[in-house]
Amino acid sequence: MSIVAKVIAQSDRADRFLGSTELTQLQDFFNNSDVRISASQKLAANQQRIVEKGSQQFWNQCPDTPSNRGVKQKTALCQRDQGWYIRLVSYCVLAGNSKPLEDIGLDGMRDMYVSLNVPLSNLRMAMRCLKQAAMGLLSSEEAALAGPYFDQLIRSF
Amino acid sequence: MQDTITSLINPADEKGLYLEGSALDTLQQYFKTGALRVKAASQIGESADSIISTTVEKSLLYGDITLPGGNMYPTRRYAACLRDLAYFLRYATYAMLAADASILDERILNGLKDTYSSLGVPIEPTIQAVQAMKEVVTQRVGSEAGQEMSVYLDHIVSGLS
Repeated sequence: MSIVAKVIAQSDRADRFLGSTELTQLQDFFNNSDVRISASQKLAANQQRIVEKGSQQFWNQCPDTPSNRGVKQKTALCQRDQGWYIRLVSYCVLAGNSKPLEDIGLDGMRDMYVSLNVPLSNLRMAMRCLKQAAMGLLSSEEAALAGPYFDQLIRSF
Repeated sequence: MQDTITSLINPADEKGLYLEGSALDTLQQYFKTGALRVKAASQIGESADSIISTTVEKSLLYGDITLPGGNMYPTRRYAACLRDLAYFLRYATYAMLAADASILDERILNGLKDTYSSLGVPIEPTIQAVQAMKEVVTQRVGSEAGQEMSVYLDHIVSGLS
């Protein structure tokens, strides 16, 4: 769901046209659409780099973790998931809303990693490193749009 | 409900892709029209009641439909007609903002034709009223935004036809 769908659903529930706050929200959203596009393109183009850099940072801080025990498959899986989370953040930036992250990547996430025996606290650290690596590549305007979704991701672990 | 943004993100996610190529172009086009859509939604919301009265005046008021035996007689049915036209206007506005007709289908059009025929609401005058609404809205919001609104008001017409 996007911010547009969100304010429409909200107005619909109240049986009214959009209110002035909602209209302003949409105006702000459309006003910085260029930044949204460029942020999402940078995340897409640099996904691999962000994951590599983030992982390195993460393993420095937390060497004893499933993705750093020499089992290639586990390392690949962990990095694949991190790449996915970057993609979900890029969706959120374009949608102006955290729903894509929540619906696709957070709903059920804990159960999944617990069943895979991946310590959530380690993942939390990994996601923090991922954020840092991503922020380093974005302009301050782009970072201001993407940062909160990374924060939400980190908080959810 | 779907909106343009969500309807581009969902299929990209199914394939594990970022938004790129034609999907990103479509999104960019939509973003470019965003300010126009928001402004039109604001204008329509502010003058909805007057848009409805003018629409009725242009299409229904002076016809047989408001006389005894007509479907806008007595006042209870006149009011029901106003209410339905207001729904059409509001949901067309939502759809115009989202650049996606799905909310119109979900909330207005599914089953509407059957409901109207069971209530004896004549389709032809309803369509005339929606056509008149297109003109009235265009006068209020200008031709560019009026064209966008017409896409969704036409969608109502085709849903009723």
